[in-house]
Amino acid sequence: MSDEEHHFESKADAGASKTYPQQAGTIRKNGYIVIKNRPCKVVEVSTSKTGKHGHAKCHFVGIDIFTAKKLEDIVPSSHNCDVPHVNRTDYQLIDISEDGFVSLLTDSGDTKDDLKLPTDESLLKQIKEGFAEGKDLVVSVMSAMGEEQICALKDIGPK
Amino acid sequence: MQGFSDGGADLGQLQTTMRNIEVACTSIQMHINPAAAEATILSLSQSPQPYMACRFILENSQVPNARFQAAAAIRDAAIREWSSLSTEERRSLISFCLCFVMQHASSPEGYVLAKVSSVAAQLMKRGWLDFTEAEKETFFYQVNQAILGAHGIDVQFIGVNFLESLVSEFSPSTSSAMGLPREFHEQCRTSLELNYLKMFYCWARDAALSVTNKIIEPNAVIPEVKVCTAALRLMLQILNWEFRNDTTSMKAGIDVFSAGVRHDNGSSKRSECVLVQPGPAWFDVLISSGHVSWLLGLYAALRQKFSREEPYFLLWIDPPDVVSKAIEEGKSESEMLDGCRALLSIATATTPFVFDQLLKAIRPCGTLSLLSTLMCEVVKVLMTNNTDEETWSWEARDILLDTWTILLVPTDGSGGDALLPPEGKHAAANLFSMIVESELKVASASVTNDDGDSDYLQASISAMDERLSSYALIARAAIDVTIPLLTRLFSERFARLHQGRGIIDPTETLEELYSLLLITGHVLADEGEGETPLVPTAIKTHFADIAEAEKHPVVVLSGSIIRFAEQSMDPEVRATVFSPRLMEAVIWFLARWSHTYLMPLEETNCLSNDYQQHHSVNSKKALLSFFGEHNQGQVVLDIIVRISVMTLVSYPGEKDLQGLTCHHLLHTLVRRKTICYQLVSLESWRNLANAFTNEKSLFLLSSANQRSLAQTLVLSASGLRNSETANQYVKGLMAHMTTYLVELSNRSDLKSVAHQPDIIMSVSCLLERLRGAASAAGPRRQRAMYEIGISVMNPVLHLLEVYKDESAVVYLLLKFIVDWVDGQISYLESRETAAVIDFCMRLLQLYSSHNIGKISISLSSTLLSEAKTEKYKDLRALLQLLSSLCSKDLVDFSSDSVEAAGINISQVVFFGLHIVTPLISLELLKYPKLCHDYFSLLSHILEVYPETLAQLNSEAFVHIIGTLDFGLHHQDLEVVDMCLGALKALAAYNYREICAGKTGLVSAGLGNLPEGIFSRFLRSLLQLLLFEDYSPDLVSAAADALLPLILCEQGLYQKLGNELIERQTNPALKSRLANALHSLTSSNHLSSRLDRVNYQRFRKNLNSFLNWQNKRNGWFRFLWSFLNFSMHLEALLLVV
Repeated sequence: MSDEEHHFESKADAGASKTYPQQAGTIRKNGYIVIKNRPCKVVEVSTSKTGKHGHAKCHFVGIDIFTAKKLEDIVPSSHNCDVPHVNRTDYQLIDISEDGFVSLLTDSGDTKDDLKLPTDESLLKQIKEGFAEGKDLVVSVMSAMGEEQICALKDIGPK
Repeated sequence: MQGFSDGGADLGQLQTTMRNIEVACTSIQMHINPAAAEATILSLSQSPQPYMACRFILENSQVPNARFQAAAAIRDAAIREWSSLSTEERRSLISFCLCFVMQHASSPEGYVLAKVSSVAAQLMKRGWLDFTEAEKETFFYQVNQAILGAHGIDVQFIGVNFLESLVSEFSPSTSSAMGLPREFHEQCRTSLELNYLKMFYCWARDAALSVTNKIIEPNAVIPEVKVCTAALRLMLQILNWEFRNDTTSMKAGIDVFSAGVRHDNGSSKRSECVLVQPGPAWFDVLISSGHVSWLLGLYAALRQKFSREEPYFLLWIDPPDVVSKAIEEGKSESEMLDGCRALLSIATATTPFVFDQLLKAIRPCGTLSLLSTLMCEVVKVLMTNNTDEETWSWEARDILLDTWTILLVPTDGSGGDALLPPEGKHAAANLFSMIVESELKVASASVTNDDGDSDYLQASISAMDERLSSYALIARAAIDVTIPLLTRLFSERFARLHQGRGIIDPTETLEELYSLLLITGHVLADEGEGETPLVPTAIKTHFADIAEAEKHPVVVLSGSIIRFAEQSMDPEVRATVFSPRLMEAVIWFLARWSHTYLMPLEETNCLSNDYQQHHSVNSKKALLSFFGEHNQGQVVLDIIVRISVMTLVSYPGEKDLQGLTCHHLLHTLVRRKTICYQLVSLESWRNLANAFTNEKSLFLLSSANQRSLAQTLVLSASGLRNSETANQYVKGLMAHMTTYLVELSNRSDLKSVAHQPDIIMSVSCLLERLRGAASAAGPRRQRAMYEIGISVMNPVLHLLEVYKDESAVVYLLLKFIVDWVDGQISYLESRETAAVIDFCMRLLQLYSSHNIGKISISLSSTLLSEAKTEKYKDLRALLQLLSSLCSKDLVDFSSDSVEAAGINISQVVFFGLHIVTPLISLELLKYPKLCHDYFSLLSHILEVYPETLAQLNSEAFVHIIGTLDFGLHHQDLEVVDMCLGALKALAAYNYREICAGKTGLVSAGLGNLPEGIFSRFLRSLLQLLLFEDYSPDLVSAAADALLPLILCEQGLYQKLGNELIERQTNPALKSRLANALHSLTSSNHLSSRLDRVNYQRFRKNLNSFLNWQNKRNGWFRFLWSFLNFSMHLEALLLVV
């Protein structure tokens, strides 16, 4: 868990802050949380008490949204946790290069070429075939704490 | 393989056989070529009619194992060949076995005798239904003679032993397989139970009695004990028989016994102890013959005799202290536990009064006192060595607690508690104080063995619940003593806390209070289980001499606890005393207590009975009215509300405590109208409402608590006198949410701020509240909720767009709309309905456009499966939404009909289905709940609006038909049933259309299916009925679907039927099949109309057809696969 100063820091550059403080007790399953400085999706929350007549604490199991690693944390439930600001942006897929990098069309009309498709063979094949057939594919890119990754694909055409 | 059959057996051959078997047995024992030896033995039992050889071996062999195998061979062969044996042969086999065991009764190889005896029993059972009564008599005469001891001790033992095998053969749970249907075993069981069991019991008892005197003699030798043990074992076995024939008609004549007999054998869950349930017919044998006292006498005598040796079979449980000490010193505890079980068994069969009297004859005090002392001893042992291991004392405690429960639970259904004699009351009071002492000791000890994680209150209560309610029964049996005791224990601990504050670590005392609160809660009040619990009868009827309400012990006790709870309002006391755990117990207690005592409904009833100037009525009235509306009720309610608010605000992050407050305590309060009236006028309640709308701390409650709190606050509006103020109240509560959501959705930078965690949190929080409020909408508050919903419609759509990737928010949005529509739809006027429907469709379309064709990508399989689960939950919500819309056609409270406004609900729902079905893949239908919802909606729609199916485009149509086909082959009976219902509706609609000269469904632009849908379903339904495994429960539904299908596709049906008949090669079967198929469609005056009568006739026809067909099933399966194969072949040829 991070200390108070950290929050002030992050609040200073409003709008672009990477994490927000939130009371541990209010973080729920399917929400997000920062564990060991990694943005995670919470897949399990349980509460217990510190000692028989002590206060509640939350036990979080999270999965790193980028690396899929499982992380765990225990926080007193009245304390604050960091919650990452997770953003998603949709781009139209323009091209897939041989080495798995994609070329995406941004809203402003520029291209974005620094993202890689997932390595899963069958999925890759499906996407490539769909793309080759001339389907309009939209790629959803998830970003949090300075990292980004393709998280979903959607076929919006052909009409 | 060389056989051993008897054909032309001469002595030489028999001796060879015997030698072979003997050699085989010896070599098995010595592990020399066991496979060959086993084969030899097997060949004996498998050869036809090996009886001669077996008898020869039994009578002549010197090798006991060979005799054993011979007996086994007789059994196997006879069971196998039974039907081909003559009656004479059957009888002779059994009597041979019986005679053999009697003659060899003194043989040292007991296991051979036991085997032969059990063979006799099995053969007897096999022939049970064929033998005449006289034949059975002959056998049993022989056995009876043996048991009477006419032929000596050994034979007597053998006789009892035989009966034991016989009874165990006839009891379904211990019978051996005979390759016969279950009915056979059932019939044997019933026959034995009704005609013989009691007789066997008497024989066993007589046998035991006959040897008792000899056993008791100080210098007697042991052999009689063998008989006695066997007889007692048989008696026990008979008593443990699963009695089925509850001959209630025989009850009337037997007074005491029938009143005491309990048929609620569900009440002994704790100790796995089989209750004796022989039924009233056994009264004369069991109770009146006085053999209980004989048994007790026997025990006593035996104890004397064997007191310096190992206990032989049962060590009496008396005196308890000596026994428990002995066990602690290392003696085996099983005798003591058996003693406890005996008490439990006796309790099951008697009333408390009879129970207490049982031992009066031989002991100075009653059984209840003994039970109490015994249990006190057990509790003492529990106290001294408190470990987590389940020791004998745990088990003994559970058995004895069960005994108390059985004795004390009211049986007559009038709710009256069982009355104990004064001595019994005293015993109960003693025991209760011992129990409380032990529980307190356990509690304070548990503080030190703290392992960091302690159980959640609800979990610990439900784990202890049964035990606690048994404690409560004991306490209520002596309520005059136990309530003051509890009061004293509480005040001691309050004082201790007070004096030691800041000086001594209070944890032990806190834990004791926690325990006391749970116990007291159970003693004072019952769990409502959804109903309003009444004040327990024991409390209502006692304390007759107390006229002043303030001095009523229950009032004193409740008052002291409430005053203690109130101290938690002081921050300083709270910090030192009221730990979250203790507070949980306080809240739990307050909820349970207020459900029964706070402004009770009985108060009014009681006051109206003014003419009863009886003492007990007075005290009851005093108790009931003390916490009533016009007395202290309001003050106490105020305290409770203030405490509740405090737990929500001052215990941040204590989800469990807050959950108890929201779901348990506050919910209990608003459930009763009398309390709601008071609530809305209370300042503290208004403060809660204010805090709810304004205070940040309440936004920190967990989502479920948030929802529950909103629901509670809205529900309390039912305490307002008219609907206008109620609506105003609800609007006031909710205004902050709607404003926030509208403002947020109008923000120009919505897209960029929406994903900030703090905004997501606020939105989720408000949606939870809205959902809670929506689910509390009743007729009085409906207007306000409607307006709230309308005002957030556009924001909801905006948010759905923005949060399309934030599954948690999407789900909340959907759930809010589902609950809101569900609560509103039946009240809406047509114009409003149109607006709501339009909104729902937009919502559906938006959701679908976001999700159709979307593939989630993640490295983590957990996250992928989470994503799938989320999708399933969303879809389920959408289906629920459609179902709610559907209900408008059925339940409508509005002043004008929806049709007037040109709304066609069916079209709306089909349109919705059209949007949703592409999202529901067969993969997702594997979620049982989704599957269930989907098919119930589908079958409902098809039953009510079959005509609209024709309006779907072919893609959606094919999808729906595909899912129907899927559902038809589902494992879940209900799903199949619903699919059959849908099919029936479709086919019936189609048939009617065709009869009316219209085109029906098939040609309505749906002709692009390879064959008509109805022929496809006719085929697959016939296939299901004829050749697949299905539950017999489905036959009626299947008949209802099959009839219209046949009528729609008569040509195809004829063709299929003919094909079936044609493939039949056996001419006899051929004509029978033709007849059966013919009568399926023509018998019982079946006509071609689709009315109720005709459906019923067809059900009958199908049933008789299937019964006939079941017999031929194996053959049919083969035929059908052949048929299918040839069809495929035809199709292939056509393609080529």
